[in-house]
Amino acid sequence: MNPILTFLVVLIGFYGLSTSTNIIKSVFSVTIIESGVILLFLNLGNFEPGSIPIINDETVMIVDPLPQALMITTIVIGSTVTAMALMLCIKVFHQYGTVEWKEILRREDIKS
Amino acid sequence: MNTSASSSSRTVVSVSRRILLVAMLLVLFGVFTVSMLELEELYNDYGRQYFFENAFDETGSRNFVTSILLDYRLFDSLFEAGILLIAVSGVIWISKHDVEEKNARFMIDKYKTPDLFVTFSRLVYPLMLTFGFYIVINGHLSPGGGFQGGAIVATAILILYYINPDKETNIGFIVTVEKVVYLLIIVAASVSIVTRGTFFTNFFPVDAPADLKAIYLVLLNVLIGFKVSLGLWTIFTAFLKEGR
Repeated sequence: MNPILTFLVVLIGFYGLSTSTNIIKSVFSVTIIESGVILLFLNLGNFEPGSIPIINDETVMIVDPLPQALMITTIVIGSTVTAMALMLCIKVFHQYGTVEWKEILRREDIKS
Repeated sequence: MNTSASSSSRTVVSVSRRILLVAMLLVLFGVFTVSMLELEELYNDYGRQYFFENAFDETGSRNFVTSILLDYRLFDSLFEAGILLIAVSGVIWISKHDVEEKNARFMIDKYKTPDLFVTFSRLVYPLMLTFGFYIVINGHLSPGGGFQGGAIVATAILILYYINPDKETNIGFIVTVEKVVYLLIIVAASVSIVTRGTFFTNFFPVDAPADLKAIYLVLLNVLIGFKVSLGLWTIFTAFLKEGR
């Protein structure tokens, strides 16, 4: 896949982040951005010819293992960020009874 | 009447905002496409040639992702595991129930879980646990490693909650064990300053055979897998207690 196509996935995530009114959908959009970044980095390390970076006796050449190792970090950090965001979302629901951005902002106006 | 007019004006505003947003995203896409044209000068394939020629001799791992994670860039991996610990602390801190609450009951409804799911979970659960352990231990020979295998083991433990919803778990004990395991990872990574003279690398000498170096890789993979599975288990239990 072309690296430019993977950036389209990132843009879809940006669009969802800008237009979604539900907090949970915003968290999903962040996850979509993260998957686009992961696809982009895996594409950058993909040189021809190359096999998976696990060698045996018949291996001729491998793809670059460094982006793959970096992306493990991204996946772990992305999962922790998602967990934190969802837990904050639960707290917001307990506080306001809704997970809609506009509703929460309106109630903030009433209070102040 | 009045409300419909206001809503229609609001939709006009929102449509114009959508068009502006799409235009901004297209500008971003153009900038990215232009920047990708000069990628050949920024990033080349010398790195993979270096790894292909030297990585097995230097680290003793056939999986080069593992050799980067556990040898070349072990400093990064330590903080990666530390970020998981920090996230676990944050999730528990935000969660309503605090850590001191012992033996919390969980909010899975026994009567809403399908019987078919529970029955097959009982069959699949030991297989998942074994598969997770296999991936953790064989991380230097085949695809996998501590982080991935730990996630699989944590998923198997999550299924255990569906099998037995009345299970009682002491979260404070799990978090304490996780902290101790994280300290053990740092200690195992720092032994190399005594034997090799540098921090955060394999503690066997460089010219040792690959089988000997594999002991270090398996040890660190098992510790990291243990820590990751405990951390994800804690996050799961925090969500299970909170969701109602």
